Amino acid sequence: MRAGHRSFWPFLLIAPTVAGGAFLLLYPMLKAAVISFQHFRMGELIRGGATLVGLENYAELLGGTEFWQVVWRTVAWTAINVVLIVVLSTGVALMLVRLRRGLRLAVMSALALAWATPIIAATTIFQWLFQSELGVVNWLLVTLGFDSFQGYTWFADGTATFAVLVILVVWQSVPFAALTLYAGLTTIPAELYESARIDGGNGWQVFWKITVPMLRQLFALIASLEVIWVAKCFPQIWVLSQGGPDDATTTLPVYAFKIARVLHRYDLGSAVAMLTVVILAVALVSNLRRMVRS
Amino acid sequence: MKYRILALAAVLAVGACGTGAEPETGAAASGAPAKLTVWIMDGSVTQELLKKFETEHEDAHKGVDLDIQIQAWDGIGERVTAALASTDAPDVIEVGNTQVAQYSSSGGVTDLTAKIADLKGEDWLPGLAQPGNIDGKQYGIPWYAANRVVVYNKDLFAEAGIKEPPKTRDEWLDITTKLNKGGNQGIYLTGQTWYALAGFIWDEGGDLAVQEGGRWKGALDTPQARAGMDFYQRLQALGKGPKDADEANPPQHEVFAQGKVAQIIAVPGVAARVLEVDDQLKDKMGFFPIPGKTADKPGTVFTGGSDLIIPVASQHQDEAYELVKALAGEKFQKELATTMSFVPNRTSLAGVLSGDEGTAAMAVGAANGRATPNTPNWAAVEATSVIKQYMTAVLTGADPAAEAKKVSESITTTLNSGS
Amino acid sequence: MKRLALNATAVAVLVTTVFPVYWMFLTAFKPTRDIQAATPTFWPADPTLEHFVTAVSAPGFWTYWRNSLLVTVAAVLIALVVALLAAFAMTRMRWRGRSAFVVAVFAAQMAPWEALLVPVFIIARDTDLLDSLAMLTGVYFMITLPFTIVTLRGFLSAIPPELEEAAQVDGCSRLVAFRRVIFPLLAPGLMATSLFGFITAWNEFAFVNVLIIKDQDKRTLPVWLSSFRDVFGTDWGATMAAASLFALPALLLFLFLQRRVGTGMTAGAVKG
Repeated sequence: MRAGHRSFWPFLLIAPTVAGGAFLLLYPMLKAAVISFQHFRMGELIRGGATLVGLENYAELLGGTEFWQVVWRTVAWTAINVVLIVVLSTGVALMLVRLRRGLRLAVMSALALAWATPIIAATTIFQWLFQSELGVVNWLLVTLGFDSFQGYTWFADGTATFAVLVILVVWQSVPFAALTLYAGLTTIPAELYESARIDGGNGWQVFWKITVPMLRQLFALIASLEVIWVAKCFPQIWVLSQGGPDDATTTLPVYAFKIARVLHRYDLGSAVAMLTVVILAVALVSNLRRMVRS
Repeated sequence: MKYRILALAAVLAVGACGTGAEPETGAAASGAPAKLTVWIMDGSVTQELLKKFETEHEDAHKGVDLDIQIQAWDGIGERVTAALASTDAPDVIEVGNTQVAQYSSSGGVTDLTAKIADLKGEDWLPGLAQPGNIDGKQYGIPWYAANRVVVYNKDLFAEAGIKEPPKTRDEWLDITTKLNKGGNQGIYLTGQTWYALAGFIWDEGGDLAVQEGGRWKGALDTPQARAGMDFYQRLQALGKGPKDADEANPPQHEVFAQGKVAQIIAVPGVAARVLEVDDQLKDKMGFFPIPGKTADKPGTVFTGGSDLIIPVASQHQDEAYELVKALAGEKFQKELATTMSFVPNRTSLAGVLSGDEGTAAMAVGAANGRATPNTPNWAAVEATSVIKQYMTAVLTGADPAAEAKKVSESITTTLNSGS
Repeated sequence: MKRLALNATAVAVLVTTVFPVYWMFLTAFKPTRDIQAATPTFWPADPTLEHFVTAVSAPGFWTYWRNSLLVTVAAVLIALVVALLAAFAMTRMRWRGRSAFVVAVFAAQMAPWEALLVPVFIIARDTDLLDSLAMLTGVYFMITLPFTIVTLRGFLSAIPPELEEAAQVDGCSRLVAFRRVIFPLLAPGLMATSLFGFITAWNEFAFVNVLIIKDQDKRTLPVWLSSFRDVFGTDWGATMAAASLFALPALLLFLFLQRRVGTGMTAGAVKG
């Protein structure tokens, strides 16, 4: 290849990305970072003239109890969802490999269909499924003999709303993870499995000795993508419960949005966002390291 | 496909130019027609009346083109804030009287103190004028007021053999129990109608929040406030109003229009909207003031209403002021009051309401009108829906004492968070 | 026996996955009395279009639909082109700062977009880009770009560089080699990626609320859907019809792409 082109071509090719990122991502991020060190509320947004207050907003957040509650709730929310997503999608992927062609294609189409359903449409559907009087879920539960679900108001109870949101997010996220893992599974040479079987391994051992090590990279990628997506998940929660009832579904992004847009505390909201990025980066630092090495 | 993409790009480019470089100043616009954008809240005024006003105003002011946009309540706070902070804002905005203080103190609203006399502001309703006045400067111009009454279905009352509207709370519970029979609901009261709750709390001598030595304190955990909530719960149980929604979801006038609901708590103007859905209830709607604890005193009510503001960022200050003057002026006020059953913005115009059953009931209640705690931060309490969540929690069986304590603490935090 | 259990599980997965979407369409086609029946029916015995009529005749539907399509398609196409260039540089060339760039792209996915509303609003205001679909397009482009790059990089690195080198040896220029050899192989990847971008941008509603202020005719479909639910709260038939209409473009795009993409739908991430 023409060596001379190497010098500036790559930079030319990434230039649009860098330009877009600089103007529409980096610049707003820097602005948000500055705002988090200012006294910046409704008046400052309208009139301008915000003053620096140093670490005051961070002190208010870190010193209060609410922020930490939200952090732990976000950790729990992320952990529950990601574990469910990874476990279920692994199961589905392993199932897909073993299915006959016709049924496999049917299941894969179904998964892709769920994946392609826009979030807000899906959220609206779940509100209808779990509606108290006419919702099909309550009808099903009552029919199965759980009479206490007659007219049960799912969205009045914190834990119930949290559970509905978990179901919604898992339902929407499993397809991507499952199809990706399935694609990964098909790249494992069949001879590996055969030799493992000849050595007398049962299904479980084969899974841990062959499948997991072969797909370690892929599992790591899916897990970290899901961590990011689930931790940052916003529209589902906002549309379904606005973080309620009683803050039971207020995770970090919902918290930042509420503080900024509802209370007009843009300074505090920006501080929440900055801390969210730091927390996510710390959680995923090992993954980032691996990417640098590769 | 390629052409379509090009077309897309072209449309986008045109769109960008169209909105980008248009330095319309008041002076420049005086020659060309000025397009005035007006934000009116959903449910304030019927389409018909707005159309009529638009035509008349455009005829009277050559070169003014009105674009009246109906705004949904959901997310209105962030939209108004963004509008005030923009460089080309809507020219006139209707804002609730519990929220006008917050916007007025932000610096984004035009100071109209010099125009008070021109607007005949000497007898404005204090419940609308005061929240629009910050540090002696008038930003919000009173537009209309209303308070809730009980709207009832005369047929269902007759069926149940009830001749007289109730005068006390006990009577009210009695007749509502009688009405709550068969397929009918005694009262359709949603679980989150918080200003009805506010009225019951005030009747007991309690309040939503109190000021103690410069600090605000949530007061829903006082015995008086708890008694108010207890009454709300007993009343709410006499119908099928959803416990986890407010009266806008679904719109309660639509539920009432089905003819199976004996009573709702609403502003009298709701009657017009009921008839918009279905006119079978024409002449069958009655009104009475919300009953108090004793027969000699009607229930305390929350005085709701709206002010009009002109954003500093409006590009047509003069035309916008003329528009506010027309909307707040005697002619339109009388039309608004009679069509929508609202209380006009000036006490001297109140005569226009005599002879209307709904507004008569409202006027009785209005004598006992109260406002939400007078601090710009109150808007934030409303926006966070904590009171609504408290009500749902209690109605669905949570421990009332613990919930009351929790919501009061939350209100205390919000009210003292500065602005 | 084992096969039977496997197939039963597969059918169970199939049903749970499809049911919510099926239920949405079913409710949208049911007459109101069937929707409110105490015992739900699981088959459209008596389908009706009345709910769709209600939804479509709600004010603004067609305008918002067109806006959404315009903004989303433009954002996705721009993101694809820009991402393709970057992915090419990342997989086929060696240059200083490449690994830092990879990390930056990955990290960009963590961007807390909901918290960037105010900064983006200020930027739009200061550059006179409020009330403009172009700004909205720009934001959606940036929201979808990082993932688009990550995925396309995966797809590209799955294609052996020897292929284009061979083509170049045959005398093609690098550009021609790319167009003739790489592009056809990459097409499924591009389509799968564009579907993801489409879904993301199609959904967005927070930025519309602050970037489109005065010119209501520039709002998009998600805003319409949420205000629709405010008005038609308990009319679940109409709400589901509205949701169906909202979901339809994404589902159609998926059906259209799936035929072409087949099982390669997510293969890009495998090599990620």
